[in-house]
Amino acid sequence: MRIDRQDLAAIADEYVLGLLDEAEAAQVEAEMAHDAALSDAVAAARDRFLPLDTGIEPVSVSPNLWDTIAERLPDQVPQTGAQPVAPTANDNVAGGVRPGWRSMAISAMAASLILAVGLAWSVTRTVEPLVVAVLLNEAGEVQAVVEDFGNNTASVRLLTEFTVPADRTMQVWTLPSRDMGPMSLGLLEGAHSATLHSPALPKPQDTQLYEITLEQAGGSPTGRPTGPILAKGFAKLPR
Amino acid sequence: MDAGAKNNFLLHPFPASGVSLQCGFIPAGMHLRLDERMAAVATAETEYAQHSIDAAGENGLALATDLSTDLEAALGACASGDRTALRRIFDAESGRLVAVAQRIVRRRDLAEEVVQEAFLRIWTHAHQYRPDRGSARGWIYAIVRNRALNLLRDGKREDLPGDERLETLQDSDQLEQIMAAWQTLDRHSRLRECLGSLDDIKRRGILMAYVGGYTHGEIAGRLCIPLGTAKSWIRRGLSSLRECMA
Repeated sequence: MRIDRQDLAAIADEYVLGLLDEAEAAQVEAEMAHDAALSDAVAAARDRFLPLDTGIEPVSVSPNLWDTIAERLPDQVPQTGAQPVAPTANDNVAGGVRPGWRSMAISAMAASLILAVGLAWSVTRTVEPLVVAVLLNEAGEVQAVVEDFGNNTASVRLLTEFTVPADRTMQVWTLPSRDMGPMSLGLLEGAHSATLHSPALPKPQDTQLYEITLEQAGGSPTGRPTGPILAKGFAKLPR
Repeated sequence: MDAGAKNNFLLHPFPASGVSLQCGFIPAGMHLRLDERMAAVATAETEYAQHSIDAAGENGLALATDLSTDLEAALGACASGDRTALRRIFDAESGRLVAVAQRIVRRRDLAEEVVQEAFLRIWTHAHQYRPDRGSARGWIYAIVRNRALNLLRDGKREDLPGDERLETLQDSDQLEQIMAAWQTLDRHSRLRECLGSLDDIKRRGILMAYVGGYTHGEIAGRLCIPLGTAKSWIRRGLSSLRECMA
């Protein structure tokens, strides 16, 4: 789905009404992070329809609903202290940082706990990956783990259910260097975990970016990521 | 019928395909006779000319502005870790938010689950709210709406035990609630007036989507029109609505 400038308002309306399919809605959400015009159109659509919600007769909520919420609230992490996240592989804004992904730096700390478990398991095997990356979605939830063995083989383990439309496929990317740009590691057919064999790439490094995008069936036609980012994360060296 | 509609069958307990998907599920007040549908087609062309230019102000605007400022300040306080600010949002809005979620997912327990998840997200994402990008209230309600829609689309209901029909809002009740959302809008509301200027079938389609969380496929089924027609009528209705409210 290409977002035409003239269609912005129409797409924003359909997004706010919940009429877009999952992939389209995901794309709108990804685009909103760096497209001010689209964000404005969505905000305008929200406020246009809001009276239909705020005019509703309130119901009395369960007395323990607040307590349940309060118990589950995590401590707030100060945003100002967060480490800046490197530009994304398919970020078309020069030097731009997508604000939605900023929270990832924080969530990555939680993810490292999960990573520790994964590493303990992976380092006991005979062939060791050179790097391991935990991939998170925009909400900071763990979606997948990539183990790159450095011999043009990478194992991608999905840790959540992905719903992929029939005409789309999940494609795995890495960014060996800014000069080289994002390189495809391969496609995840049927949205399953897989071991991928890629063309020769430089030896994976610490903090190298890995990401999974939703592309048209058969993979991105341009050789670069074009679709919405489903998950991304930075590599760590197993120690 | 798209894939989403198929999943929705689990949550919306009515037929999703085939001959059984008929207008019979639409209560008397909702049922469109063929001649009415034809009339809707006939008037579609003249729709743009029907908009009233009378822009009456909203009642209670000052109150709404105060409330909005409060919510904006509360989101800012949430971002810096003030739990009492989240509590203020909860106290002010939870009754309506649960009602909004219930109108979509139809069950009170699921609606409260939606609101619970939504408040966790409001807390963790409060720093992302930008006052120059729409109202704080719109941002908060959007989070609840998205959670409710996700629950609906995931068809999570199938995991839940018990006789759902007894505690579930019936289709006809929900459709009545949907139309009521428009009818109970403030008399001087621009939205009420602009929705009122739309063809009946376009207005129904838009309200079913926004208020009830229906998919294109479900709307087409309830209104007894082809899927493509439903999509294009809703799109044209939305376009007219934007023009009217501009």
